[in-house]
Amino acid sequence: MDTALEAEGLTKRFGACSAVEDLSFEVKRGEIYGVLGPNGAGKSSTMRMLVGVLHPSAGRVTINGAHLTREVLRGVGYLPEERGLYRNMSARSAIAYLARLKGLPSRKAHKRADELLTAQGLGKVRRRKIKTYSKGMAQKVQVLAAVAHEPDIIILDEPFAGLDPVNQRGLEDLIRAQAAAGRTVLFSTHVMEHAERLCDRILLINGGRKAFEGSVSEALALAPSVAMLETDGDFDLAAALAARGFNIVADGQEHGSHRWHARLENGVGSRQLLSACVEVAAPLSLFEPARASLHEAFVALVGGDAARKAVE
Amino acid sequence: MGAISLIARRDYFAYIGAWGFWASLLLAPLILAALTVGPLFLSRTEPPRLLAILAERPSDAALAAQAFADDARDRFWRDISSYLDTAAPSQKQATLAAFDAAPDRRAAIAAARAVIERRAPQALSNFPAPSPRYLVVPAPSSNISDLRGYLDGQRTLPDGRALYGAINIRRTATGPAIEYWSANLSHQEPLAIVREAVRTAMRREVLAQHGVDRAESDRLDALEPQTQQFDPRPSAPQGRITLRQRAPFYAAILLSFILWSVVFSTANMLLNGVIEEKSNKILDTLLTSVTPLELLVGKLLGVAAVSATLFLVWGALGGVLLNAAALRMGDSMLGQVAAGFLDPRLLAAFLIGFVAGYLIYGAIFLAFGALCESIQEAQTALGVATLIMALPMMLIAPALDNPNAPLIEAASWVPLFTPFMLLMRAPAGLGWAEIVGMGALMFGFAALVLWLASRVFHAGVVDQMSLARRKT
Repeated sequence: MDTALEAEGLTKRFGACSAVEDLSFEVKRGEIYGVLGPNGAGKSSTMRMLVGVLHPSAGRVTINGAHLTREVLRGVGYLPEERGLYRNMSARSAIAYLARLKGLPSRKAHKRADELLTAQGLGKVRRRKIKTYSKGMAQKVQVLAAVAHEPDIIILDEPFAGLDPVNQRGLEDLIRAQAAAGRTVLFSTHVMEHAERLCDRILLINGGRKAFEGSVSEALALAPSVAMLETDGDFDLAAALAARGFNIVADGQEHGSHRWHARLENGVGSRQLLSACVEVAAPLSLFEPARASLHEAFVALVGGDAARKAVE
Repeated sequence: MGAISLIARRDYFAYIGAWGFWASLLLAPLILAALTVGPLFLSRTEPPRLLAILAERPSDAALAAQAFADDARDRFWRDISSYLDTAAPSQKQATLAAFDAAPDRRAAIAAARAVIERRAPQALSNFPAPSPRYLVVPAPSSNISDLRGYLDGQRTLPDGRALYGAINIRRTATGPAIEYWSANLSHQEPLAIVREAVRTAMRREVLAQHGVDRAESDRLDALEPQTQQFDPRPSAPQGRITLRQRAPFYAAILLSFILWSVVFSTANMLLNGVIEEKSNKILDTLLTSVTPLELLVGKLLGVAAVSATLFLVWGALGGVLLNAAALRMGDSMLGQVAAGFLDPRLLAAFLIGFVAGYLIYGAIFLAFGALCESIQEAQTALGVATLIMALPMMLIAPALDNPNAPLIEAASWVPLFTPFMLLMRAPAGLGWAEIVGMGALMFGFAALVLWLASRVFHAGVVDQMSLARRKT
């Protein structure tokens, strides 16, 4: 898989404040790549540098091995974080206008706008002014405008922000469809679930610096896993396993059974926990290992404060 | 060029699709016509102003009444003369002679009308039907103190009409003293009419005491040297200055104000357009496809096309009317002023001044817009921009006084002033080389301002610098 987009040592400073610092990563052709980070991590500044809207203070961006020129950027679709459209234009005209600015001929741009709007259920209202659209509809139009000229690389900055769950699911489907068509999709988000569901690889940034780059499974492996356990009678599982280095916390009691919560760290897996339980002859009635979430991986990688900012 | 053209076309169609554009297109000529014709129409439709005359001597009262009758006759003479200039110029001499020969106002109007009816009946429908500006009515009281209630609106005349003013002529040891009473404090014309009549009578009286009869006295009073003004420049072969030669100067003032207001309003459109685009948050999307300079030039051209559309319609309308006036009204005042607007140098100066002035001020306003986050912030910035634009207007009065004064000549080479000074100096013998030179200066400066504005635009829009704060 060859490289579609590469950032090397990207740095952006606004006066004394550094928004992005020495950030390097590469996006492979055809993959869905997520840029994750808390608010203020430098995601939008990074995205704006990737499309040439913001000039980096240092470092460089290449797309398909070439520097950012008008011709190169014609192959890129971009949805900015701060988005909007001409409110007095119809959705059809707006999509066609932006596609024409990207070099599509007028007839083809309008045809493409009609196709996209129809496919997204907006065919009947495509000639209505955008100011009459709901926020979700307008945002859908803007996403369509970013892909109308059939770019090789699609860069979406916080595309799920402000969308209801139904529209979020629709957007996820659209992103998958674009990737299935061979396009490279790069999007930023601070909602881990979207990245977990969609991304082949992710980049975690915090304070403008790279915290992690790799596949979702690699990120998950870095997160502590947990397990839920139940024991019969008055057996003190926490005390029995403490000597073996396990961190077990009581989680309640019901019908003569005790519930326990185990947090597995430092590479210790659920198999080792189960072996230890057998060794101490714990009267187990339930052993339920749980898969770590990307959010937990994120907490582990960037720390609790940054994770809380992301949720906010 | 493709992106610039797309941006310009989008902006153009967005503006002409707005109702405000059509309102401007249709209403501006109507408003201009209303402003031109309105005051004249209002003054003609206003009922005569009623004046009462009190005087210690009956002869003084008769003198004042006769002065108002003469004033009314003079006004009718001027109205009929203007009418003849346009409706029947060939009959002017005969008609005015008939008017002059008649003993009183009514007879004079009837005599003039009879000439037109006989010699140019097709023009009769437009024959003026003026009413006198002042009408002398019997005073409801012989005491000026008693008239105050009538003059301040507390009481009306027996027929229900309001008394506009009162003339009270007293006799003092040094001669007549004229008092004028009226609630309209800003208007003194009735006093001036009576003062001139009494002054003439006093002069006649003194001259009579020295043995000079009335006819000789009037002859002496009418003595006046002939005066003529000449233009020494080779471009004026006949030399003699008439209204035709002065008209381009008056036209230049009017065109300067039109230029200023059009440049200001179109530049304002650009400023609001950028702020609207910033608030629509579409600039980031556009800037992945176009450079800030292309965006700026596209917006400038879009609004320029809007202005050009307005000018095409207004210019065609105005051109047809002015041309018709210049051709049909010939040597009349209106015809000569109309010809003044059609002076080729003036039109060239207006065209060059508009294009370059629009580019210069438009780019400045665009840069201001890029640095503003809201209309409120823009209004503050607009204060500064308006002051910059007010500077050339301050030079218009001295430019009219002496278009070739060193200060004005120097100012005409300062690009911010050039569009307006070029226009003011065009009728004052400005050569084509200077017009072209100033045009080149303005376009060069406009290119520089555009480039600088694109840098400011980039800083304001892309790096999110603001007049109010700086974001990170």
